[in-house]
Amino acid sequence: MKEVIGVFMTIAVLSLALLAQLQAQGGVSQIQVGGSPTVPDNLVTSQPIPRLPDGHVDITGPWVGGGSNGDIERDGGLKPGELPLLPWAKELRDKRLEKDEPYTACLPMSVPRVNPYPWKFALSYTAKGLSHIYVLHETGDAGAHRVVYMDGRPHPPDPIPTWWGHSTGRFEKDTLVIDTIGYNDKFWFDSRGTPHTEQLHTVERWTRINWGRITNDFLLDDPGAFSRPVNLKFQGRLLRPDLKTGGGELMEFICLEGNEYGAAAGFVPGQGTSIK
Amino acid sequence: MRTKFGVLVAALGLFCVVAPAVAHHGFDTEYDANKKFKHEGVVKAVLWTNPHMRVHVDVTQGGKTVTYNMEITSPNSVQRQGWGRNSLLPGEKVVFEGYGGKVDETRGSLLSIAKLDAPNKPLFVQGGPEAVQQGFPGAR
Repeated sequence: MKEVIGVFMTIAVLSLALLAQLQAQGGVSQIQVGGSPTVPDNLVTSQPIPRLPDGHVDITGPWVGGGSNGDIERDGGLKPGELPLLPWAKELRDKRLEKDEPYTACLPMSVPRVNPYPWKFALSYTAKGLSHIYVLHETGDAGAHRVVYMDGRPHPPDPIPTWWGHSTGRFEKDTLVIDTIGYNDKFWFDSRGTPHTEQLHTVERWTRINWGRITNDFLLDDPGAFSRPVNLKFQGRLLRPDLKTGGGELMEFICLEGNEYGAAAGFVPGQGTSIK
Repeated sequence: MRTKFGVLVAALGLFCVVAPAVAHHGFDTEYDANKKFKHEGVVKAVLWTNPHMRVHVDVTQGGKTVTYNMEITSPNSVQRQGWGRNSLLPGEKVVFEGYGGKVDETRGSLLSIAKLDAPNKPLFVQGGPEAVQQGFPGAR
């Protein structure tokens, strides 16, 4: 028992030493989210939360994270087995292979997925005020943009299913609420292969809780694949805005330029776009 | 400036050994953790392409030249970590480690690469299977 405690203590001391070393290096620990340097934890409140001329909290970003990627159940704060998948959906998830995820063939990630690269809310103002918000991802979207209508229009009654669906948004105090229907069933929630159906309805509640972080309280409602609605929680990190790391801007990323994924193992990626 | 850059990449490299980068896709669908190799060679090409950069390195094996096609992270990621156009150039002698592909062993996942005259100052260190063990999102 003493040996176990000793090993544990040694690991703990080494971990703390490593953490201190990383802090001294200026926050390079952000490499673990794909080489996109983000504002470290000790600086998230170093500046006030910025506001726009119209009074809204500036949620622009760019952000890193804030959604699922490897495993929506784990990334969203649930314990193993807590995601209320219907039996057929769980069976499909367990059967899917990572090499088949559509994202690896440069198809859209869709909601709530984010990859390790930055993304941002691009607010578009017209003479009538804030009319649209475009969600721009540096990669993973094959060049597409997601539109959030902020002009008060309703969802269409029977939308043709698409990768990003039909999104309407509104501010509730300092929280941006995005309601989306009309998704297709082709994208995966994560590399694990968690599926959904065209009945998917999502509500994102984005709140910039300080200068460096934004939370996404996420409601997933899909009676076709889940036994009940489920709430998930994600957090995004502000991309470091200094010039040394690219000025905190999105950069060009043309996914289809030279995607050689699969060549080393002899397979064609991204073949899993159907739940049938 | 170059010294500062060297310190930066060395620090990044050291960190990546214990907390590897998350890639655009998982490791073990394509590469074999049991096919780890270390070679010396000459850089043939550095391809600044998406979604992943590729570094081609000519290695002399048994009197023949074998070109290793090594995958690293995206051009944007390495730029944000301090890389520029001249960080690694064709013609430079390097020592590199990686993991071979499940079918094509010369298509590898680059674990680390350093110039031959400074082998202890890696220009880049990737995670490989250790990234999976760390359990980072997206690493599986």
